[in-house]
Amino acid sequence: MKPLRIALTKGRLEKDTVGLFEKIGFDCTSVRQKGRKLILPIDDGRIEVVLAKANDVITYVEHGVCDMGVVGKDTIMEMGGSFFELCDLGFGRCRFALATKKGSPFYGGYGVKTIATKYPNVSRSYFESKGMDIEAIKIEGSVELAPLLELSDGIVDIVETGTTLKENGLEVIEDIAPISARVIVNTVSMKLRQGEIEKLLNLMENNK
Amino acid sequence: MKRNELITPEGTRDLLFDECLAKREAEKRLARIFKSHGYSEVVTTGIEFYDVFSKGSRTVKQEALYKLTDSKGRLIVLRPDSTIPIARLVATRLKSASLPLRLYYNQPYFENNALLKGHSDEVTQAGVEFIGTKSRRADFEVLSLAVEALSSIDSNFRIEIGNVGLFKELVSNLDIDRDTAEQIRYYIVNKNYPALNDMLDTLGDSDVIRALKELPRLFGKKEVFKRASKYFVNEKIRDILKDLEYVYDSLSKLGIEENLSVDLGSVNKIDYYTGLTFKGYFEGIGEDVLAGGRYNHLISEFGYDQPATGFGINVNACAALLLKNGSAPKTKVSDVLVFSQMEYVMEAISYANSLSKKGLVVENSVFETLDETKEYALKKGIPKVVLVGERIENIDVKGGDVI
Repeated sequence: MKPLRIALTKGRLEKDTVGLFEKIGFDCTSVRQKGRKLILPIDDGRIEVVLAKANDVITYVEHGVCDMGVVGKDTIMEMGGSFFELCDLGFGRCRFALATKKGSPFYGGYGVKTIATKYPNVSRSYFESKGMDIEAIKIEGSVELAPLLELSDGIVDIVETGTTLKENGLEVIEDIAPISARVIVNTVSMKLRQGEIEKLLNLMENNK
Repeated sequence: MKRNELITPEGTRDLLFDECLAKREAEKRLARIFKSHGYSEVVTTGIEFYDVFSKGSRTVKQEALYKLTDSKGRLIVLRPDSTIPIARLVATRLKSASLPLRLYYNQPYFENNALLKGHSDEVTQAGVEFIGTKSRRADFEVLSLAVEALSSIDSNFRIEIGNVGLFKELVSNLDIDRDTAEQIRYYIVNKNYPALNDMLDTLGDSDVIRALKELPRLFGKKEVFKRASKYFVNEKIRDILKDLEYVYDSLSKLGIEENLSVDLGSVNKIDYYTGLTFKGYFEGIGEDVLAGGRYNHLISEFGYDQPATGFGINVNACAALLLKNGSAPKTKVSDVLVFSQMEYVMEAISYANSLSKKGLVVENSVFETLDETKEYALKKGIPKVVLVGERIENIDVKGGDVI
């Protein structure tokens, strides 16, 4: 039997998912002591853990080279794609929010607002739903810099505690969407390996 | 400097040798099945007016179309689908043809996909359209053709049935606008349980809401119908379900119980389906390779009210699978290499022609000497060299004095 291949987003989601797997009772020593390896068998080889960057988790699952994946809702919202999004794992919680320089009104005036963000698609579709034209500028590093340097009127970014914003004189003026870790499944794998996948999903759901 | 002239556009690829053979093999197997059941081939135009794909149930997302303009400035698109053009064809040129009509096609469609995601923008699709009858017999014929088509490529396939009527009927019982209904459909199709539940919770609680919540979970084998019966109280929906179970049981009589499943939450993105739908999957291919179903109103959008059913199968995916399984033919090495001195060159060509007529694969040598010819034959693995001169002489390549 081919192992069930599950791609985990490297970093915190990976640690939380491995924690969940251990709670279920899978021996995850191979993942804990992975060294440089990227494909790691657990549960007596019945499951193969693949470690990848968030965007790549979606790509691998979409193409069916991985059956399942654990990835943040933020990446799903930005990337889109066709796969089943079956379960909210509850960890990796944060939110998308719109923030501006403290005290500066974002809405009002006729000018088109400029938004600096790592998530141009999320930003665009959010303001599109409000019927508002914006200019989205993609920033790769610290997005907080853009309004401070007066490149943009505001930012759309992931906010967890808001400390970084506060320290830089920014404040959240609107929450856009809640974020947490999701289990995604390839549409064909779901059908051809329904039994195995549903079993694992139930275990994950009941131990989260 | 960008050398675009040296590469092909994103999402496209040239096919070489074995890849071509695999594709032609898949096409041949599929066409044989369609033809042998009385289907006639049609080829529709590669470019069509944008209007064909921009209205009613035949709306294709604008950003997914390859667009250009004709000499009068009218918007033209590369064919994004074959069923819609065939509906147009039937409603115009085949309006007086006797019914039912059995048509098949094998042609590419084009889709402008997001960059760098590894999707193909040019996909060859083969399929059938059975037009002019609502008969259950037509559904069974087309489903059985789908099974035959899939199994002609790989025995490890899955065929899954569903019915969009379930969803349409459930939603019609709710007092919601089109956008909300579309959002619900989207969550059901993506089996996004958390988002679906959140959304439906805002609409209150009723047996329709509970049924919608359960819909994406209702997939699998025959036991699905038993599970589903708990959730559907509405008479009309129970009828659809009963009918689907009848289709399921009938199909299993083809001896494909193993390969058969049902998904009540399969609510295709394509808008023109009106009832029974189905999909086909292969192990090792990450997306559905076959999709089809009943579309009873599409042709009427072109002014000719005829029910129809049909399906399309992804030929590229079939070819890839044949290649992977090693069941596609391989590029053949030539059987014979014919060589002559220059003064006998026409005799050599005539002789080569006579061999090719006998069914052998034969090449003419373009070298000036026999030694070079033998060397070439060795390199290419051609087993036999023939020297044409005063007489015709067989030269043994391996035992010869070359090298």
